[in-house]
Amino acid sequence: MANTARCLILACGNTLRSDDGVGPKLAAWAEERFRQESEVRVISRQQFTPELAELIAAADSVLFVDSSASPPPGRVRLLPVSSRVESSTAPPSHHLKPSELLGLTRSLYGSIKSHAMLLTVGIGSTELGETFSAPVEAALPRARGILEKAVLRFLGR
Amino acid sequence: MSQTITIDPVTRLEGHGKITIQLNGQGEVENAHFHVTQVRGFERFSEGRPFYEMPSLMARICGICPVSHLIASAKACEAIMSVRIPHTAAQLRRLLNLAQMVQSHALSFFYLASPDLLLGMESDPKLRNILGVAAAKPELGRAGIALRRIGQSIIELLGDKRVHPGWVVPGGVTEPLSPEKRDKILAMLPEAYSSVGLALGAYKQIAGTFQPEIEVFANFPSNYMSLISEEESIDLTDGALRLIDATGKIIEDGITASRYTEVIGEAVENYSYTKFAYYKPLGYPDGSYRVGPLARLNIVKSMGTPKAEKELTEFKQLATGPVSSSFHYHHARLVEMLYGIEKIEEILADSRILDKHVRATAGVNRLEGAGQAEAPRGVLHHHYKVDENGKITWANLVIATGQNNNAMNRGVLQAARHYVKDGKFTEGVLNRVEAVVRTFDPCLSCSTHAFGQMPLVISLLSADGEVVDRVARD
Repeated sequence: MANTARCLILACGNTLRSDDGVGPKLAAWAEERFRQESEVRVISRQQFTPELAELIAAADSVLFVDSSASPPPGRVRLLPVSSRVESSTAPPSHHLKPSELLGLTRSLYGSIKSHAMLLTVGIGSTELGETFSAPVEAALPRARGILEKAVLRFLGR
Repeated sequence: MSQTITIDPVTRLEGHGKITIQLNGQGEVENAHFHVTQVRGFERFSEGRPFYEMPSLMARICGICPVSHLIASAKACEAIMSVRIPHTAAQLRRLLNLAQMVQSHALSFFYLASPDLLLGMESDPKLRNILGVAAAKPELGRAGIALRRIGQSIIELLGDKRVHPGWVVPGGVTEPLSPEKRDKILAMLPEAYSSVGLALGAYKQIAGTFQPEIEVFANFPSNYMSLISEEESIDLTDGALRLIDATGKIIEDGITASRYTEVIGEAVENYSYTKFAYYKPLGYPDGSYRVGPLARLNIVKSMGTPKAEKELTEFKQLATGPVSSSFHYHHARLVEMLYGIEKIEEILADSRILDKHVRATAGVNRLEGAGQAEAPRGVLHHHYKVDENGKITWANLVIATGQNNNAMNRGVLQAARHYVKDGKFTEGVLNRVEAVVRTFDPCLSCSTHAFGQMPLVISLLSADGEVVDRVARD
């Protein structure tokens, strides 16, 4: 079974695809910010894969961090995530949405999270490259602030 | 009036492909093809690179089986260097390859195939996925996740990264194994044994209910090819090539990497970017053969480990000669996972695995080299030519999916002819045709996976392009 952590930060994105790398970028910042916090664990992946369910089951709360193509570039949003899975769509095999991952965690491990949130940053470009567009670069301080507050709230501080 | 059914993309595969089924005027299946619709360019864009960069470059071909590319590539480089790597380095590579096989087979069986196997070919397609399996059979879902984690954790412990570890280099590996890491790996194995045991038990309980599929899922006589050890046991990392025919008779044996071009040719068809490998003396397509778990278990005389040996004996009782239905790839994968866990334990029990001498060094001593290793999906060949400075001037790769290409196409045609009647088809029929391809677990795009959803639409078109029938999956 996976190592336990009260708060799990799960980021995803491709650092070679410009703004899509914003999740891993925020994860790297969180890793440094919470380095002294044994109750916080940060994981960064290219996709939310099914095996992450095991890590989620071991945590009290989870904060997903990802890019989003739907809001305007640079808009930061923090949304609650439920484990309800929409039955109208079949998930692909290799990667899941946060809600599907929570549903998988509930089915496999009977684990329901006290807190589950999704932090997204609206993106403007997914072209090949390792730099962010101006709106995403400008949004990073705000995204870091929201991430920090969410984690501290999860920890009851 | 002829018609064409198109399945695009085929779901639950490693990568993107499509299937077309051509009907004649009577609505009978005339032909069917499995198309690989993406093109890669690794052979070409490696030209000009120093040969010692090749393993880490080539590992990027695949996110599931990068270790096999690392090993085959490193071996090709060692042929150019004319070096023999230290025993411990060879054993450490073997460990890494076994761990990769465990996690890759777990992905194939639990994530891609088990929705069909555990929920049924005709089950609701909205539930026929990993979430549906988790809801219906949570104990098996947990086993699958555990085996994925264990395989990936072993790769990370050895190579520092779960995907694309850079640890395997020309001449050996970069670092020896520490006692702490060895003990961590050993501590994972009891859970691995229980997880694969659960899967084997569940599979054997349900396999009999799939007899109709077993009959028509790429079930035909063919040749088989794999690496085999001098003791005629399974060997995923070293050994030499053996080819058997449909009766089990050995038709080639002891083919080392440097001789693979004597026996393997590659043909091209205009409907796929993947090449079609064949046994040269028989020509194309008569010389087509199958590789991967089914081929390996058909070829070997023993597994070399006690629990897997027992399973091999049972597996071989499925037929009097080679097991010919590709449906049994699923069973073979489970047997190989068990073997992998046993072999990892056996290798770690030898104290020489902690030896510090794990790398040989040399420069360019030959201008050409080839290496081969078993990937989870079948034997893999890397072949390079270099100039006097060691820069790559030419490269060729023969991958497992290309070697299974003809069999996959024949299998799709066989299943389509069986299931598509009077030009009509249901979603369950569509799923069965796709499931034939899934038995082979082909790796199409390898290192890159889908970005976003994978909608599936099958259209039945008349010769003038009119849609006569349509099945859609969001």
